[in-house]
Amino acid sequence: MSETATGRGWGAQDVRRELHSELLEINMGPQHPATHGVLRLLVHTDGEIVQGVTAHIGYLHRCAEKIAEGCDWRQWMVYTDRFDYLAPINMNFGYAVAVERMLGVKVPERAEHIRVICAELQRIASHLIAIGTFGLDMGAWTPLLYCFREREEILNILERISGGRMLYNYFDIGGLRYDAYEGFERDVLDFVNIMEQKIPEYDTLLSYNKIFIERTADVGVIDVATCHAYGCTGPVLRGAGVPFDCRKDDPYSIYDRFEFDIPYGEGEQGTVGDCWDRYMVRMREMYESCRIIRQAVDALPGGPVKAEELKKLVKVPQGSLYTRTESSKGEIGYHIFADGGSKPFRTKVRSPSFSNLHVIEKVGPGMMLSDLVATIGSLDIVLGEIDR
Amino acid sequence: MTQDRKDYVESVTPPAGYDPRREQCLDFHVAEDLAAMAESDDKNFILTTVDNLFDWARLSSVWPVTFGLACCAIEMMAASATRYDIDRFGAGAFRATPRQADLMIVSGTVTAKMATRLTRIYDQMPEPKWVVAMGSCAIGGGPYFKYGYHVVKGVDLIVPVDVYIPGCPPRPEVLLDGLMRLQDKIRGRRGGTKPPKWVADYASKIPYVKR
Amino acid sequence: MEATAIHALLQSRFGDAVLDYVDSFEKGSLVAAGRVGEIAAFLRDDAALGFESLMSLAGLDWDGYDTAGKGKSVDILGYDELGRPEASDRVGDGDLGVAYALYSHRHGHKHTLFVRVPRAAPQVASVAAVWATAAWHEREAWDLVGIRFAGHPDLKRILLDEEWVGHPLRKDYVMPGSWQGVPLDGRDYAACKWDEAGVTLPDDVKKPDDPQQPGNGNQG
Repeated sequence: MSETATGRGWGAQDVRRELHSELLEINMGPQHPATHGVLRLLVHTDGEIVQGVTAHIGYLHRCAEKIAEGCDWRQWMVYTDRFDYLAPINMNFGYAVAVERMLGVKVPERAEHIRVICAELQRIASHLIAIGTFGLDMGAWTPLLYCFREREEILNILERISGGRMLYNYFDIGGLRYDAYEGFERDVLDFVNIMEQKIPEYDTLLSYNKIFIERTADVGVIDVATCHAYGCTGPVLRGAGVPFDCRKDDPYSIYDRFEFDIPYGEGEQGTVGDCWDRYMVRMREMYESCRIIRQAVDALPGGPVKAEELKKLVKVPQGSLYTRTESSKGEIGYHIFADGGSKPFRTKVRSPSFSNLHVIEKVGPGMMLSDLVATIGSLDIVLGEIDR
Repeated sequence: MTQDRKDYVESVTPPAGYDPRREQCLDFHVAEDLAAMAESDDKNFILTTVDNLFDWARLSSVWPVTFGLACCAIEMMAASATRYDIDRFGAGAFRATPRQADLMIVSGTVTAKMATRLTRIYDQMPEPKWVVAMGSCAIGGGPYFKYGYHVVKGVDLIVPVDVYIPGCPPRPEVLLDGLMRLQDKIRGRRGGTKPPKWVADYASKIPYVKR
Repeated sequence: MEATAIHALLQSRFGDAVLDYVDSFEKGSLVAAGRVGEIAAFLRDDAALGFESLMSLAGLDWDGYDTAGKGKSVDILGYDELGRPEASDRVGDGDLGVAYALYSHRHGHKHTLFVRVPRAAPQVASVAAVWATAAWHEREAWDLVGIRFAGHPDLKRILLDEEWVGHPLRKDYVMPGSWQGVPLDGRDYAACKWDEAGVTLPDDVKKPDDPQQPGNGNQG
């Protein structure tokens, strides 16, 4: 225990100095409400202070990369849904872009626009869950209910367009499985109009709540060098003050046509790269997503939604390519090795949460046990894509 | 219509004169006058057995353990959140410890590594306890059947399952339906839905009280 | 910087440790497995290269790869429709490999390093000291493909259990029937009796305590 710890009242400092605390080994998970799934953390604590964190993962390892070698290029789209089950469309998007780049297929304009609209809707839905569950971790139950209220509206739109409520399998290689329904634009605009008014509501509920700021500001600070070394991307990297976003810096699809800003952490309430910054990046990204959706709906053209030459069995020419796109959690990369056949020879999925979680072993030691929960919540991990 | 189907329809069709209010307050089928008595203002009493009363209490407050495994856990969260509100069925109190819970919703893929933990959580739950297999992965491996070297092909190979809820993932409505089927099962756990004969005999001797 | 220039720079610096230029959809260099650690350090620290970020590290099994590009690679083994592990007497051959996808935030360029190692002695130098994220990626490559990383601080399985047998992403991997008492094959469908009254499940399916109980879910 650190001797500089300041005690109040009845001389806590002296008591601490006398007590020889011994390291306590605590298992968090795999069944634990604060680990966002089946993550197991082995925490060594000295009193309330964390001395070491070891993350044990693999409790949801569903063999998706092995399955990829056994099914054809289109079939595997189903399994990409189930990586990040909070943002399946973004996972679909990454895989579709990866295979299309190798095939050299031009996706029709209408399909590209609908893809962008769906992906941004999905990003909002995912961030809503991230914010809601983060509030839950901090002891605030109410924001979750508000977040789910708006999320259900997004799911309604995505269900009407794809047929699935949560896992869509809507994107196809070379376009979409089917066209949008009539009135899709109106539904989306209605939702965006409502959503933009709701975000200030979350701000008053959670963002500038005194207790929430006390719990998150200056907690779990991750700096830029650590982010680069540990491969952190997405809101974690942007929270550390780097405005890096694959949509702008490594553009794919038609994102280069839209005007949007990349929010990044500036240390408003504490240090740059603390939990509050990561949280706020998500909050502001929802605004930006709304902006993109408006532009995409305005520019939505008619025409086909599937590349003509791709109606039959897909065969990808021999070679390898690493393609990355921006999911709600960060950089989702597909490193695909093709042998010229109808099945992927090997597909490596580089999932954002995998790298984002790894950093907890670096930043965990030295913080309070309750701050560890805050940090995990602010990383917004999904075990489905960590374990695959 | 096949015979099986006919039997099924007959079994789920309520009898003539069926009053759902009586179901709510009594939960067993006695003569109608008993129900009327229970509703009367001056003489409020219910006649039942302790077993039936306990079952009624259990089915009205099924406490699930917070045990989210995969995608289905998000639908389980959605079922407990704003629009669907699982609390209407008394099952909204998700307990973080299995020792306070009596329902385990296996919501997602069970892997080899998780299976041992799952059985441990099941063993820690006090009796009586129930298990719901939610989603196709928990039922039989789902899409991970063919190459899933790490996936258990159905949670009923590890723990006994009471209700199976199909879907990938099941909608929250289906989860609620599964919960109601589980409540049916709890209701009929001992001795069926009919009260013992002495209760019916005794009830028949009570004079009919009109409101 | 162009990929060819990066390759030339590596060649001039490391000589015969840089084996070949890879010109696929992505551009990269095939390097010697034993020296990938120092090459990685150079790639990160050199001012003109500045690869401070390892995007991805993929372990590969090249067993049965169709080099002609006709897509005639060998099929992998799975479970059959009854849930039994498929058996084969084929013995795996061919190299194992690792692919490192690199990105420089400073310069905005990418490069991919490839490594090939013989199946009998799959030993690659670790880059965990260069990029911290590689520690987990290398553990995954060891876990799923079975590549040994020399100099890794803590090389153990990450996704599967420590006592798991075999490396699943190898092409000749045979699916396990069970693991430490946990059944991983399907239930014994052959033992199921299908008749008009319904299905009688075999003994390996756990049943609720009292099979005679009257509750059948239809009484609501």
